[in-house]
Amino acid sequence: MTSVIDYVPGDTLLHRLNPVTKLAVAVAVIVATLLADTYPLLVGLIALTLALGAYAGALRRLTSLLKVLVPLAAIMLALQTAVVRTGAPVAAWITVDGLVTGSKACLRLLGVAMPLILMLSVTKMGDLANACVEVLHVPYRYAFTFTTALRFVPVFSQEMTAIMEAQTARGVEYDTRNPFRKLRLMLPMCVPLLVSSVGKTDATALAAEQRGFYLRTRESSYRRYPLVARDWATLACCVALVAIGAAL
Amino acid sequence: MSSPAIISLEDVSFCYGERDERALDDVSLKIFPGEFVGVTGPSGAGKSTLAAVLSGAVPHHYRGSLYGAAIVDGHDTCEVSLTDIARTVGSVTQDIDAQMVASVVEDELLFGLENFGVPHDQIEGRLSGALETVGISELRDREIATLSGGQKQKVAVAAILALRPRVLVLDEPTAALDPASSKLIFQTLSQLNRTEGITVVVIEQKVALLSEFCGRVLVMDGGRLALDGTPREVFAHGSELRRMGVDSPRVARVSNSLAEHGVIEPGPPCLSVEEAEALIRGLLAGRGKKSPVVTSRSARDDALGDAPSHASPHAPAPRRAEEAAPPVVDLRDVSFAYPGSGDGVSHVNLAFRPGELVGVVGQNGAGKTTLTKLLNGLLRPASGEVRIAGIDTRAVPVSRIAAHVATLFQNPDRQLCKDTVLDEVAFGLELQGVDGEGARRRAAAAIERFGLPAGESPFSLSRGQRQMVALASVVVMEPQVVLLDEPTSGLDYRECMTVMETVREMAERGCAVIMVCHDMEVVSDFAERVVVMAGGRVLADGRAAEVFSRPEVMEAASIEAPQVAQLSRALALSSSEKFAGISQVSGIVDLVEEMVRP
Repeated sequence: MTSVIDYVPGDTLLHRLNPVTKLAVAVAVIVATLLADTYPLLVGLIALTLALGAYAGALRRLTSLLKVLVPLAAIMLALQTAVVRTGAPVAAWITVDGLVTGSKACLRLLGVAMPLILMLSVTKMGDLANACVEVLHVPYRYAFTFTTALRFVPVFSQEMTAIMEAQTARGVEYDTRNPFRKLRLMLPMCVPLLVSSVGKTDATALAAEQRGFYLRTRESSYRRYPLVARDWATLACCVALVAIGAAL
Repeated sequence: MSSPAIISLEDVSFCYGERDERALDDVSLKIFPGEFVGVTGPSGAGKSTLAAVLSGAVPHHYRGSLYGAAIVDGHDTCEVSLTDIARTVGSVTQDIDAQMVASVVEDELLFGLENFGVPHDQIEGRLSGALETVGISELRDREIATLSGGQKQKVAVAAILALRPRVLVLDEPTAALDPASSKLIFQTLSQLNRTEGITVVVIEQKVALLSEFCGRVLVMDGGRLALDGTPREVFAHGSELRRMGVDSPRVARVSNSLAEHGVIEPGPPCLSVEEAEALIRGLLAGRGKKSPVVTSRSARDDALGDAPSHASPHAPAPRRAEEAAPPVVDLRDVSFAYPGSGDGVSHVNLAFRPGELVGVVGQNGAGKTTLTKLLNGLLRPASGEVRIAGIDTRAVPVSRIAAHVATLFQNPDRQLCKDTVLDEVAFGLELQGVDGEGARRRAAAAIERFGLPAGESPFSLSRGQRQMVALASVVVMEPQVVLLDEPTSGLDYRECMTVMETVREMAERGCAVIMVCHDMEVVSDFAERVVVMAGGRVLADGRAAEVFSRPEVMEAASIEAPQVAQLSRALALSSSEKFAGISQVSGIVDLVEEMVRP
């Protein structure tokens, strides 16, 4: 199983931006989405994210994310219509107001979830950590903790798959069709997963220390991450995007 | 050895945490610059603790009480920081995934270089140099998660190497690797040792590698340093090693055993197949026995042939003819491919009968694991048919197949999930609908057989004991088929023998045992039939001794035949065809004794 945040290699402008700029783009799109209150803008922001994804060659990553998000959004829509019952009735309990708030909430959910995943998938974790340390002055130990946590996600999900396979082979019914039963069966598996993850993190800490983790300073990084013209231009666009979001 | 020791331990003892038992007990040891030292010993002997002391992880990372002094490059490890020790001693720990700090190979190497403040104009040279030395320049931009076990191991070595340590300490670097990759790692280490002058200390269970590559071997037992010397000196103590639970290279066993039988004078043992072959050839020629050296072409071919009709009486007889019994496992033209990669198996036809003990061998990626997953139902064939006890695996859920097939996985920790050993062993039975009372009674009997503590938590036990718990929960199921995935990895020789004796008994009771195993010595000791896989296909399938005596098959599958098989083949060519097909040390020794003593 691969993670949603695997790096998608490429040489597009999006790839070449400073990691911090990419982060700013994601944040700008998210903020604009949260501020926006009209359909054209909400849909436009999602379209922008998808267009950027297509440009960077990471569209498939986004569509696979959408497969998870769309059902979630549908549930949210149903719940919203049940809660918001003001305005003209449409059918059964559903009202116009309910539909409007519900659909906007759905679009926001999609618009907020995708940009960060897109930006992470066009950035190498090491670059992101180093750039955050250099440009944003984030202490390295936080950056390291963050990247390590992200790196461990696929490692642990592989471990979980292996554990489930081992248990299935013993006769535990993970192949049941009942999701609640499956969840109940999965809970005891947290024990072996926890045992192995505690061991792994401890070993990683030791390995990092033995390679001079505590000597690292802001100047250590071999690669430099200066903000260049294209970054400043992109950052200006980000500000504009947020302004548009606030205005419309 | 006139230069001062680079590491010296003086009466070092260590207890973890608050415990009283000593993981290391009064160890004194000097390691000199340029040495290639191998460390071996049974589980719990203190090998990893020794590595931790050498690399400074004790006392800086693991808590406990340390006695004595560990001096690294003239400094007491208690008085300098772990980071300072790391400038001299580079360490590669057992869990290779946990060793990694980055997600891309290049970043992994940069991490240490950047931290230790290597001037930026030297970084590129050091980085590419380290990759080149280890032979992985082409992996520079790869994501670490996509690499094989052997490649990851090399990345870990390169990342340490870039820091130019004077000593390299590795804890079981080949534990998860196939024989070919294991040998490659040792060749790399040996080259670093010779050309770069780096001192290497490596913990290893594979004694054949130790005897081939190391200049000095240390044997640990019960926290103490039991033996220390050249491989020849150490492996001369065959019976002592066996008592401790440490294996010896099979050729060393042959010469030690010949000495015990009084055929040769006691002395340093043979360490390679060539030495043993020369020794025995000399013995046979010297005694002027009428053992004609095979010269005629037809006889030579015969000796090499698949099934010599006049099979040596010393070759193991097939245990029982089960040909009549219908197969309990039947694979017909089975293919399976993982999405997005070429790996998998294609057009596999295999049948396994009750009472058979079959070894499946091949390199990593040959399709062995895919085969086991097809057998226990975790994977369904894309085409063809897998039948277990007459059931088509596509027709029933995996949890139903578990009633017929029990799997012992390589890593027992994935199998264990209960609070006590008793609950753990009874769990599988309960899942199959055995009532609580009956399940616990059967579980208790199995636990007693293995001498396990029924009331303790499985996770508080040692690695070897956890594997025994997993084995007990397989045995208690009384399945028709047992699958073993690397049953011996991470175990010492004695634990390995317990596992194998147990599965042999199961086979004798009519269970079909299928084991995937990298250790050819174990396969040739226990399996009567061997299936060789490469590239997802079955290359050979037949009696173990026959298959191992076919060099073209061994080469195509990149596996090395067990030492005894190599020796008997060499002797069949050079001395007497009577040696053909012998697969056990005792077989060779008995035959030699018989031939030299009229």
